[in-house]
This record gives sequence, structure tokens and C-alpha cells, in this order.
Amino acid sequence: MIRVVVSGLGVVSPYGAGAKTFWAGLTTGECAIRPVTVIATEGFRSRIAAEVPADVVASLGVSRRRSRADRIALTAAREALAEADLAPGDRADMGLFIGAVGGGMLEGEEWYCEQAAGRGPSPRIGALRSILPVSHAETLAWRLRLGGPRETVVMACASGAASIALGADLIRSGATPLVLAGGVDAITRICFMGFNALKLLDPEPCRPFDRGRRGMSIGEAAAFVVLEDAEHCRARGARVLGELLGAGMTTDAHHVTAPHPEGEGMVRAMADALAAAGRAPADIGYVNAHGTGTPQNDRMEALALVRLFGEGRVLVSSTKSLVGHTMAAAGSLEAAATLLTLQHGLIPPTANLRDPDPDVPFDCVPGTARAVELQAAVSNSFGFGGQNVSLVFGR
Amino acid sequence: MSARRRVVVTGIGSVNPAGCGGSAVVADALARQSQTIAPLKAFALDGCPSRLAAEVDDARLMALLDPDAVRRLSRICRMAVAACRLAVEDAGVEGGARLGLAVGSEYGDFRSGAEFFNGFLRRGPAGLSPMIFPNTVMNSMAAVAAIAIGARAPSVTLNQATVAGDLAVARAAALIADGRADAVVAGGVDEIFVDVYRGLSALGALSPMGGGGAEGCRPYAPDHNGPVLGEGATFLVLEELGVARARGASIHAEVLGSAWGGIPVAPHTAPVAKRDAHRTVWRALDQAGIEPASLGRCYGSGNGDPSLDDWELELLAADGIRGPVSLAPLFGQHGGLGALRAAAGALDARADRAPTLVHGIARGGCRSAVIIGRAA
Repeated sequence: MIRVVVSGLGVVSPYGAGAKTFWAGLTTGECAIRPVTVIATEGFRSRIAAEVPADVVASLGVSRRRSRADRIALTAAREALAEADLAPGDRADMGLFIGAVGGGMLEGEEWYCEQAAGRGPSPRIGALRSILPVSHAETLAWRLRLGGPRETVVMACASGAASIALGADLIRSGATPLVLAGGVDAITRICFMGFNALKLLDPEPCRPFDRGRRGMSIGEAAAFVVLEDAEHCRARGARVLGELLGAGMTTDAHHVTAPHPEGEGMVRAMADALAAAGRAPADIGYVNAHGTGTPQNDRMEALALVRLFGEGRVLVSSTKSLVGHTMAAAGSLEAAATLLTLQHGLIPPTANLRDPDPDVPFDCVPGTARAVELQAAVSNSFGFGGQNVSLVFGR
Repeated sequence: MSARRRVVVTGIGSVNPAGCGGSAVVADALARQSQTIAPLKAFALDGCPSRLAAEVDDARLMALLDPDAVRRLSRICRMAVAACRLAVEDAGVEGGARLGLAVGSEYGDFRSGAEFFNGFLRRGPAGLSPMIFPNTVMNSMAAVAAIAIGARAPSVTLNQATVAGDLAVARAAALIADGRADAVVAGGVDEIFVDVYRGLSALGALSPMGGGGAEGCRPYAPDHNGPVLGEGATFLVLEELGVARARGASIHAEVLGSAWGGIPVAPHTAPVAKRDAHRTVWRALDQAGIEPASLGRCYGSGNGDPSLDDWELELLAADGIRGPVSLAPLFGQHGGLGALRAAAGALDARADRAPTLVHGIARGGCRSAVIIGRAA
């Protein structure tokens, strides 16, 4: 059995560029959810989000002709590859798995608005070339010279986690020893308007697991990990940041937007991941929850956690309370947070959690990061379409 | 090291411009070589340089669905649900925690995206429909199809130009081989939507690219001048051999090998000189344990795009394979076309022909290879 380790990590988050910046933001407990600036928000119930700051986007060193999402994806991917310190030839057969939903839709929407306004053929039509999610994979493969298997995985809010699970499968199959896997999403009008229309956004920064939670806050980010065959990594003397012990992927097949009422698919994803990892629930010290802050998701996730771990048997926190729900990037961003948690023995807090929901019978680490020695942790990602992905990481 | 799990094809379902049905209908469409490309009827094309398409007959599609599904589902979701149901009926497979789904799409549900956005442009926030929004996410087809067929193992949606269906079939074979599912319904879906059609035509991505020559789909021909859009959904049921045998399934063919790769070229380009360092086709051949000379036929992804056709011929020639056959003139370019190629390969195998290579290459460099042959 091929073991899969993480040898590189790259992040562009609402805190700025870099995994260190991300980790510093998470552990100080600073909530990065603020008024939206990239799109107009007049008339909407919620007008806040966790954006990558404008000055950070402007200073990424990536051509401004590329979509916002491509720019943050390239930056995060470059950081991950740099940390992995690969030999020049290693990229020739390196796989690329990207979780994506919005693609270059932010720029495509501008073209569409001009078309709809009847102002004649728009010079922005070139934006259509990068409107689709697959454009990230094409851009990254080209700019980073990655010549291995390539997939653009669209599994809603579980996309980033699924890309890591599937990338690891590819390594275990022996097809390639190296995969760059992660997710990216920039804020788009469609996403912002859609979740507003569904009344799933809290007008205030989200409060996962709080009795008074009223919904989520959207965000944007890119996060990538370099997954590597452990033997390959050892042979080249590279640093190991953590191990992907196992992954579970299931589908509810119950409802397009609502989770299964008993959390059946969530439980199965976590149980499959633990089985693949060869770990018992008692071996897990921390769960980085999907924890969106919607009444329904948090209740169902808590129920699933109770069914698997038992009441109060594991520490749980939601980093979405700090950096928002970054959609297709969320699964990989939270995988990065989980890896850093294991590395540092410090659990990032759940922000804005002041009145814990009694239906969530777990210590959700409110407000302040907590030092805990951990051997293994779970990162959960769930999405529209009943998509459930759980990743188990070890030190 | 344990032996790789063997993967067989036990069902086919398709909603395509030539007809709707299971393996028998697809076999008939392939045998008849029906010409489905014709002047587009769904919407007006004033000022558009392209005028042809291969369209699905909506009356045939609606006849496959109950009125509730027709009311609830967007058009592309109707196609996906209908084709998946046809595939599982053809296979006689049942839903459950070991049945997965792999859906490839080039464009997803753009119609719903535009409808949702237009609501805002017309009436502001009050014009936004919460019912439409979930369809704007590209996994919406998989979401409704998973419910329809009870697929509770992984449900993976892949976005990819030109080879979306091929990639989904290869992904599905990997999900089974890796033990994530015992059976996976795999294929692709796309629909023709006015904004996509007009946008592609304006970008010069459809025949007649650059305006030269007669419009039409002529893959690998000297006068090829661009693809013609098609639409539809085609899915195969892939299943682990032992599981299929245990339930007494009728086995059409075996996926003898599958691989996919990526040639790092500039986005949207097809540079003929670039070679495949990942050796995608040879990886699939090695898995199958055969040489190129043992192949009976190669179904290529050639769709009339001159640069892409030429690149594919060069790549295949470098692998020792010549004379690919394209199905694009029969069905038009869409996300289900790769699955139709795989279905054709499975039907060839069922007819005792030599193994088939289902090959795909997209602008931007995504490449796939699936070898399908008789199940020993």
C-alpha cells in the first residue's frame, strides 16, 4: 500500500498570500469577514464576505489579464510547489487535481452584463475563454509545466477536498508519485446572489454552532497541497508536512440542496475515511468541521459527529467563522488548516460563537485557539448535491 | 500487491440526436450512421456565422420522463436523468452505497445560469429565483441523477472540453479499481444553449472557423474547418467483474486499460509539435497487456477543429496508431460524445471484434485513453 504524504502547502486566503499568513490569521482568531467590495451589493440581505484584500490581489505578481480566480490559484500553487522543493524533472509527470466551481465567472459576468445591456459586441468576449472551471487547470498546467494526469473536479463545496482525495488515489494506484491538488474560487455575483436568494447568508459574520446562527458568510481563496508517494518523498529527502491517512467520499442521493436528515452520507464519509486510515474514532483528536453556520448544516453535522464519535468525544471547530465559506476552495483550505493544526498542536477557534447550540454537544473551541497535542484529525466538506468528503490527516 | 480490480461494461443509456434508449438503440444509431447534423432549430441565429447543430428531439426526451421530473428539472438535467435511468435499466443494476456516478460536461447548465442572472438584471434582487440557483453549479446534473438512480457512492463531476465523457469513463474505471465503488454510471452530458452557441461562434470556435469553406463537421479531412455542436447525454454502467458475474449481469465488454494525462500547452491551444511525456496511450495499452497492432479500431476525438485534429493524428502516429474514426459527424461535439465512443467500443467488443482504443485530446492538453475489449 502506497502511503501519501504532504510535502508542500500554498494558500491565498482572506488574510493574504501565504500559508504562514493564513495560519497566523486563524490562530489569532481574527474574523476576515467584511463588507463586499468586488461586486455591488445594494438591496441584498447580506452584504458581507471574506475577500482576498484588494492590495494583496494587486501585488500577486500574476498578469492582470488573467481571471481573479486564476491569479490567486497560480500564487497558491507556486507556493506549494516551492515548499515541496521538487527537482526540475519532477513536474513532467506530476498530476494536477483542481476543485473548482466559479471558474472565471466574475469576469464573464461583466461581459454578460454588457451584452444584456445591448451595448453591441463587447471587447470583453475574451473573458469567455476562461469562464469555465477547467480554465484553472489549463492555466496552472501550462504556467507550472505540469505534465501528468489532470482533472477539474466540480463537486460544489466539497470540490477542494475531493480533489485531494482523488489525487491521493492516483498516487496510490501507482500512476504518478506526485500530485498538486487543491481548490480555488473567487467571489462571483452568481454565488453571492444565489446564496442570498436562498436566504442562507447571515447579514452578520457567520456564527457556526451558535444557537443564534443565521447562515453562512461566503469567501474566496485558493489552497493547494503537494501530495507525494511517501517513499518518493523520503528518497529525495524532502520535508513531510503531514500524512493523508485516508479519505471517504459518499453521496446522499436524497436532496439537491438539503443534507440527509440523519446525516447518513456524512457518517458514511467519515467512517470510510477512518477505515481507509486504519484509525478508530478514539484516535481522532480534532475535527475541522464543514461548519457553515446554517441552522440545518450545523445540526446535521453535529448529529453525524455524535453518531460516529459520541457526544463531546472530539474537539470541533469551524474555520469558516474566520475566513468565510470559500466554496470550491473550502475543502483544500480547511485541509491546509488541519495540517497546520497537527503540525503546531494548536486548534484554530470558532469565531463569533458566544451562545453554543445545545444541539451541538461538542467543545467547539470558541473564540481562542487552543493548544492540544494531536496525532490525527479529520477535515469535513459537504456540498450541494449531497456530496460528502472527509479527509483524515496524521502528523 | 493485490491484483487490480477488473472493470466491465454492463449497460448503456443514451439520449442523443439520433435517438434515445439503451444499448440496442445506440447500436442501431451507430449501424445506421444517421446524419443528425442539420440547421439549428431551437433559436434564431441572426448574424451568427454558424448555423448547424445536432439537436436532441425534445418530444422523445419528454416521453422518457414523468411530468413531475419535466416540471422540476432543467433541460440538461432531464437529459442526464433520462440517460442514467436508461443505462441502469440496460444493466439491470440497482442503486445503493456501492453505486457511484461520474459525469463529464463541457459547459454544464448555462441555461439556468443565464436565467438566474437575467432575473436579477430585470428585477434586481427580487428577481432572483432560489429554485434555479442550485442548477448553476455544474454538479447539478449529477445531483439529480444520483437521486434518480440511488447512487450513494462517490458522485464526481468533471469539467473538460472535448473529452469530458472519455474522462468520466476513465475516472469511473479508476473509482472501481481503487475500491471506492463496485459500479459506476459514467458518461457525459451537454445541451445546446443560445448564449454558448453564439459565444463559441463569435470566438471562431465552431465551423466555419475563420469563415473559410462550407460549414460542416469533417474530422481529419483536408477541408475540416471546425466542430459542429451537438447535445445529449450518454452513460455506461461500469462494474467490477466479480460483482457483475455474481448478479448474473450481461457483460458487454471489459475496460482493459485506462489512463489520462495532461500535456502542458497554453490554454485553448493545440500545438501539433507537443508530445505526451506521460505516455497516456501506452499506459493504457500496458494495463491492457496489448500492443498497438492488436487494436481493431481507434475512436478518436477528432471533431473537425483543424489544429486539434492534426495534433491528435500526430500524437496517435507517435504511439503507432493510425486511422482514427470519429463519431462527431454523427452526434456533434458535446460532453456525451466521449461516452458514445466508449459505448461504440463496448459494442464492438460484444460483436467479438478486436480491442478498441477510445482516444481523446482537448485543446489545452487534456488527453485520455480507454482500451475496451471482450471480457475474458
